[in-house]
Amino acid sequence: MPIYRFIFFSAKHRFAHASNLLPRFGSSKRIQSCGYTKSAKNNYYKKPTGHPVVNVETQASHSSGAYFIPPILLGFGGLLAFLHYNDERRAVKIGKDSYTGSDTAVAPIIGGPFTLVNSENQIVNEQDFLGNWVLLYFGYTSSPDIGPDQVRIMAKVIDTLEAKKNLKVLPVFVTIDPQRDTPAQLRAYLKEFDPRIVGLGGPVSAVRQMAQEYRVYFKKVEEEGDDYLVESSHSMYLIDPKMKVVRCFGVEYNAEQLSKEILKELKKHQVNA
Amino acid sequence: MLLEAYASAKQDEIHTDVLLQARQACYKARDAFYSCLEKHSDKKPTEIGSVGLLYPTECKPSREDYVKNCRVSWVKHFDRQYCKTKRTQRLLDDKETRRGV
Repeated sequence: MPIYRFIFFSAKHRFAHASNLLPRFGSSKRIQSCGYTKSAKNNYYKKPTGHPVVNVETQASHSSGAYFIPPILLGFGGLLAFLHYNDERRAVKIGKDSYTGSDTAVAPIIGGPFTLVNSENQIVNEQDFLGNWVLLYFGYTSSPDIGPDQVRIMAKVIDTLEAKKNLKVLPVFVTIDPQRDTPAQLRAYLKEFDPRIVGLGGPVSAVRQMAQEYRVYFKKVEEEGDDYLVESSHSMYLIDPKMKVVRCFGVEYNAEQLSKEILKELKKHQVNA
Repeated sequence: MLLEAYASAKQDEIHTDVLLQARQACYKARDAFYSCLEKHSDKKPTEIGSVGLLYPTECKPSREDYVKNCRVSWVKHFDRQYCKTKRTQRLLDDKETRRGV
């Protein structure tokens, strides 16, 4: 009963004084919190059916509420100061030289050491490719359409670069389906495109490790026993003679665009070296 | 060590159905089947291929030829691609009939 009256009365008061309380937004909170803490101590137990809300409101002078203003203001001011300091720290000062340290390596370092078996059944690792520009493609021989297209583009690009600009780029095809793509299979498949393409396969663990280093996504789909497709990102990596990945090309590049882009990268590299 | 472990797997068999000639035959059969579909697009499709592709009975022989020349996973892949292009084509062509939707 007394509780019911308290709730009812406080509700009535809240509505009646809504217009007063709104500008003093902070103070309304203080009134209610004060109602539960301070005046609770003083009045609530003496007059349970009384009007604790009225008492609180008469007491709501700035002295009790003022305890809350300085900490809140200080906290806000501190936050502003911290943000300002952070901005200053991160901004590049006018007139300073190029922002050293983080303009070249903004992407994760792709690539790494690998050990695979080539189509002549020899063990090959990344040391064997040092000193050559390499165009690397991760694919599989049982690809219905995209795989053959990409290998064809790769062969055409190698031809164009060698014939017209006399630049040697080594094409490498790494199979992401090592269980079905044996060295003999790779040899037969790649021979039809270009004899210069190096085919690499190996045990599943070795291929998986290399794919991880090169951030290549591949997954078996449509599996029906031995017949499956491998979904992958179908991208080609251009690698410089120091075995560092310079650029990644997706399926949207055709042969002319690809050879033009590779030429650009080679020229840029010669200027820097 | 790596080489012996790898050599133990069967090495000599080559899947010839993904080499150049087989691929060409597959593409030809596939194109023949799809052109048959286009030609008879006004007929009611009663047969069902893979992944929900429907085709009329007139195209049944070319369908069999297609399935014979291509791997099952390839058939599914091409059918799915065909359905997707058909659907986008339908969406693009339907602009007049569905204004404001």
